[in-house]
Amino acid sequence: MELMDKLEILADAAKYDAACTSSGLDRAGRPGTTGNTTFAGCCHTFSADGRCVSLLKVLMTNVCAYDCAYCVNRRSNDVPRAAFTPRELCELTMGFYRRNYIEGLFLSSAVLLDPDYTTERMVEALRLLREEYRFGGYIHAKAIPGADPQLVERLGLLADRLSVNIELPSETSLSRLAPDKHKAGILRPMGQIAQRTAQSRRELAVYRHAPAFAPAGQSTQMIIGATPETDLHILRLTEGLYRKYSLKRVFFSAYLPVVPDPRLPAVTAKPPLLREHRLYQADWLLRFYQFSAAEILNEEEPNFDPYLDPKCNWALRHPEFFPVEVNTATKAQLLRVPGIGPKSVQRILIARRQQHLGMDELKRIGVVLKRARYFITCNGKAPVRGTRAEVAAALLDPNAFGVGMRQLSLDDFLPTALPGAAPLVHQLADSGMDAREAARIARQEALTCLTKRL
Amino acid sequence: MSYQAAVKDVSYCYDGSFQGFLCCVFESFSQKEIPAAVLPPAEGQTSLFPQRDIPTRPDLARRVAAGLERLGPSVRERVTTGFLADEPGKELTLLRFARLCFERGPSAARMLGDADVSAAFALERAVNNEGCKYIEFLRFEQRGTMLGTIIHPRHNVLPLLRGHFCSRLPDEDFMIFDATHGVALLRRSGKVCYMQMKQYTPAPDPAEEDWQALWKRFFHALTIEERRNTACQQNHVPKRYWQDMCEMQPDQGT
Repeated sequence: MELMDKLEILADAAKYDAACTSSGLDRAGRPGTTGNTTFAGCCHTFSADGRCVSLLKVLMTNVCAYDCAYCVNRRSNDVPRAAFTPRELCELTMGFYRRNYIEGLFLSSAVLLDPDYTTERMVEALRLLREEYRFGGYIHAKAIPGADPQLVERLGLLADRLSVNIELPSETSLSRLAPDKHKAGILRPMGQIAQRTAQSRRELAVYRHAPAFAPAGQSTQMIIGATPETDLHILRLTEGLYRKYSLKRVFFSAYLPVVPDPRLPAVTAKPPLLREHRLYQADWLLRFYQFSAAEILNEEEPNFDPYLDPKCNWALRHPEFFPVEVNTATKAQLLRVPGIGPKSVQRILIARRQQHLGMDELKRIGVVLKRARYFITCNGKAPVRGTRAEVAAALLDPNAFGVGMRQLSLDDFLPTALPGAAPLVHQLADSGMDAREAARIARQEALTCLTKRL
Repeated sequence: MSYQAAVKDVSYCYDGSFQGFLCCVFESFSQKEIPAAVLPPAEGQTSLFPQRDIPTRPDLARRVAAGLERLGPSVRERVTTGFLADEPGKELTLLRFARLCFERGPSAARMLGDADVSAAFALERAVNNEGCKYIEFLRFEQRGTMLGTIIHPRHNVLPLLRGHFCSRLPDEDFMIFDATHGVALLRRSGKVCYMQMKQYTPAPDPAEEDWQALWKRFFHALTIEERRNTACQQNHVPKRYWQDMCEMQPDQGT
């Protein structure tokens, strides 16, 4: 088989992996090697679905011994199969890397024969890349649950970031959809990686030539929407994972129905992209905004509001917290204002040590005031007094009503709801309504609801 | 602010170099005035105000540079990076910012609510952002033993690319040609230099086209059709960068 066909098959098989980041590690290039890494990571291009392409994301092979219902590579699925040899993979990585197409390699694999054999092949490819090709760029490797701990150890010494997919948000779902995988088998390598990374960090502090084990930490991902868990459940799980395994990231992947299966959503179902988006917003609140899962969602309200982002929602539930005085509030307080993010907070904190901040100053600093102005005071004065309808209009998330134009022919455009629009917009549009009209109706309804709530 | 009162109806004409700009700062100090405009040679004719030619004197430029150095890295970086911007009026913005910093000390760089400071900050950010974008979106082509590429940036971003690519490819020779400003960054056997160049038109190379085809194939295979969202793609990669990215070009004929 030609290399190009292999690449296409194995990239296509890997595309459902959400993680494609190259962040978390600063390493300068050295003579005799090729490549460096930067802490912030680097996105080299964005595919037509708007996702970042940072690494050469491929599977070692898509020949799989497992039969997980949600996966395109399961053994009962009829798709073309291929496998890279370690050398082919190295040549590809180096060729792409030198041309600045990619930041490194993301190597995953289907389970060929058994987890140990698969991991051995991955280790061999990475060893060749690091030792023979002297590659100093970023490597993200997937640890296969069930592989021998010693193999995971070797993988971790070669890769910069490791990840173990938790696959589904609960054990019951896992045993129902992925009969070959077990919760304990997934959590064991995760624990091993967390413990080894911490140990290696301590060793590096003492002796800078100590071998680094997964210096950029580990991440995981789970599929959203294939199983009936609530958002609250998922968010609690996420928070637990961050605390217990000190993960760098938890990725969510909206389930795309591929085959009819009684255990899964119907094939016609749309991927829950808005829900995925809300989960990421909440994930950001956990990581950068000092929120806890219990503050974002609770038992009475276990799912996200499709029309409001989680931070606005929190703000509406806690009117006693506002308004916040920009000139005196603490960092944590400023972070809770809708529309003000960590960057704006940082700039406000720096600037207010030099001068008093009024509305003009805030604008010059670059703070986006569309939503924030209803929640702050400058020198004791509220910048605006909005009617309830105005406030509601500012708070609604425009993403939920996104309508794009699809080009049918040269001068024929059809408005269509964007994939990330709210379910109601999709429903109305599917029932034959003009998408712009559907979005307008949904927005009107959400606006009325929200205005009443205020 | 006291220095606002010192604005005079005069425009400085300088030679367009950074040294020349530093001499403008010196002139503004020695005359105890803030000019109404600072003009590089190309815009010399456009001012309404009486013009004064500012000769470039290395000794004066060094004195101002040392002064900027004393104000700390954040002030110095803002002036030097901001000067890379290709925007009319950048000189006046940076001159006013420098005067403010000399008057108030290094902490003036953090007065982001001030009009002059925020304008200088915006300049620095625009240049840095574009530099980062080109670090991401630039595509090398193998030409003989060298890597080469053509970019079309708005600002003079080459100095910002230098450190990154020298670290990334320690043993490679490469050239980055900035077609907008006619300057090339050339790295050959560990030495880096900037060259004035009119144009750079490499001949088509079949082996290189194979690599690009491979990359394009990979790029298209990664797209999940059900999630297609080209508006989001364009937000992340604005269209003006597409001309320099091989995967964004439409397929040739076949």
